[in-house]
Amino acid sequence: MSQDLKTSSVAIEGLNDSALKVRLKRNLEIIQNVLENPTTVIGLIIVILMLLMALLAPIITEPNMPDPYQMPRDWKAARSAPLTPGHVLGTTNRGGDVFYGVVWGARTSLKLSLIVVCLTVVVGVTIGSIAGIVGGKVDEILMRVVDVFLSIPELIFALAIAAILGPSFTNIILALVVVFWVKYARIMRAQVIRIKQREYVDAARVMGDSKMQIYLKDILPNSFSPVMVQATLDMGNIVLVGATLSFIGLSEAGIAEWGVLVSEGQAGISAGRWWASTFPGLMVFLWALAFNLVGDGLRDVLDPRTETKR
Amino acid sequence: MQIRDYIIRRLLVLPVLIIGTSIIVFALTRIGGSPIGIYLSHEMNPAEVQEMKERFHLDKPVPVQYFYWIKGVTQGDLGWSGVASAPVVDVFPKKFAATMELAIAAGIVAVSLGIALGTFAGARRNKLADHIIRVVSVSGASMPLFWFAILLLIIFWVWLGWFPIGRSDPNLFEAIPHPTGFYTIDALLAGNFAAFRDAVWHLIMPAVALGYGATAIIARMMRSSLIEELQEDYVDAAKAKGLAERVVLKKHARRNALIPTVTVIGLTFGFLLQGTVVAEIIFRWPGLGRWMASAVLRGDQATIMTYVMFTSILFLIVNLVVDIIYANLDRRVVLGE
Repeated sequence: MSQDLKTSSVAIEGLNDSALKVRLKRNLEIIQNVLENPTTVIGLIIVILMLLMALLAPIITEPNMPDPYQMPRDWKAARSAPLTPGHVLGTTNRGGDVFYGVVWGARTSLKLSLIVVCLTVVVGVTIGSIAGIVGGKVDEILMRVVDVFLSIPELIFALAIAAILGPSFTNIILALVVVFWVKYARIMRAQVIRIKQREYVDAARVMGDSKMQIYLKDILPNSFSPVMVQATLDMGNIVLVGATLSFIGLSEAGIAEWGVLVSEGQAGISAGRWWASTFPGLMVFLWALAFNLVGDGLRDVLDPRTETKR
Repeated sequence: MQIRDYIIRRLLVLPVLIIGTSIIVFALTRIGGSPIGIYLSHEMNPAEVQEMKERFHLDKPVPVQYFYWIKGVTQGDLGWSGVASAPVVDVFPKKFAATMELAIAAGIVAVSLGIALGTFAGARRNKLADHIIRVVSVSGASMPLFWFAILLLIIFWVWLGWFPIGRSDPNLFEAIPHPTGFYTIDALLAGNFAAFRDAVWHLIMPAVALGYGATAIIARMMRSSLIEELQEDYVDAAKAKGLAERVVLKKHARRNALIPTVTVIGLTFGFLLQGTVVAEIIFRWPGLGRWMASAVLRGDQATIMTYVMFTSILFLIVNLVVDIIYANLDRRVVLGE
């Protein structure tokens, strides 16, 4: 009997091994498929360039000490046009170097989007999982809460929260977390409910796996791709909404952030100084576009059935 | 489920959502602290401060304050706007008309342009025009409105001088009555053509800026659903019957492709509504959005609460209407889920 058990466990190990190989092979295939779409590749290239710019910011431009996230002010060179020596992209009315803002803005945006995406995924996945697994009244209540959160338009909700908390970059992060977790809760709940009905989950249950084991081993890994797609799209959306809040004036003035810089550049527009708003705004656009392209490409490959909504 | 039952059920959920939203909005503003500040001045002594607190029920527990707020709202008391230096109720209608005029104009731009571009691209799949329109519509979802609006401003206001900013030429509009608050309609009612031209002229740039994102979304949906329709058997049948390609496209495929597009049009309404905040700041449009933006920067709670509540309710109702239209257009839609 014990011999029997031993051989069967060896057999299962062998199965796991090949299952791993299958999974690896599938992942490789997915990557290949993603790279087949030219627009996805374009998006990916822009994403990589943006990330490089964010990571190498201290090398590309000399950090402004003591706080490199603050714009350096060169009052003597205020209102310089692009291609002025020392100010490749010109300066704002208040002597802020646009190139510095563009480069360090990438770092600010990366910080913003990474923090918000991580927090919203954790919160959303947890709440969605609870709703899906527990079901019943708990599910009903949680989903009504989600509905209420979804009934306030995104930007206006974030705007109100950031306004109440007071203007600062940290509060923008908080506001975005409160607004953006909802989608993950919905996605996760749907996934849990869908996967719960699969045969392999029944099989695991019959074999005596606990609810927690089933969740960790079967449900969570299989819900990965839709969450991943949404997270990629949100890397772009968060910067888009965050920059809009900054533009309206909810960040600290003077930080190296694209929305703040566009807002600062507005003052020179009527006098024909177009550059201070144009370049940082272009960065927001490229950032959001790149992550949207990659997210769409991922979705096409990972989850071909869902339509592109919104 | 029958359509009637579906509508009734959705109508029953609506108040629940509205109450939920009001709780969130109220809780949110109380996180920011008591709004007593705007009612006080430096000359008041503690007794007077206490009196003010009692007068506005701010000495009561927060849940009780919520009910006083709701009671006030139902009686038309939306509080005092520090930004406008007037009761919110008095300022609201005029600003609302300004914002709706802008949003509707942007909606007209988005729907007409979106459907036209989407049809054009879908009927010429994988040709040059299709590729160009696809790039435009893909970029639409990623376009920061504040940037696009500023680009338009730089090109058409600063460089070319074609379009003005603001809402109107005050000289023209002081003279005519404002029964609706919509300047284009007011001008027409007054029979003043110069004023009408002026109002339209002021509308074009902000409407295009605001409508661009929605145009892109609609065009994208229209294109993909038209392509799907054109692959259906009935299209071949219609062609085999001898109908001209143009007729098949217009009378059959486009009509069916419009069904999913309608839902997307509803979704873009929220997009337009929140976009007005940014568009109004940049084009100096005196509407709700610009009011909200200054309220946000100065912590004007009554205005923020009213604005968020109002837009959410509007958003909920529009979504409901869209879902009902959609269910009526396409009987295959499974209701209830």
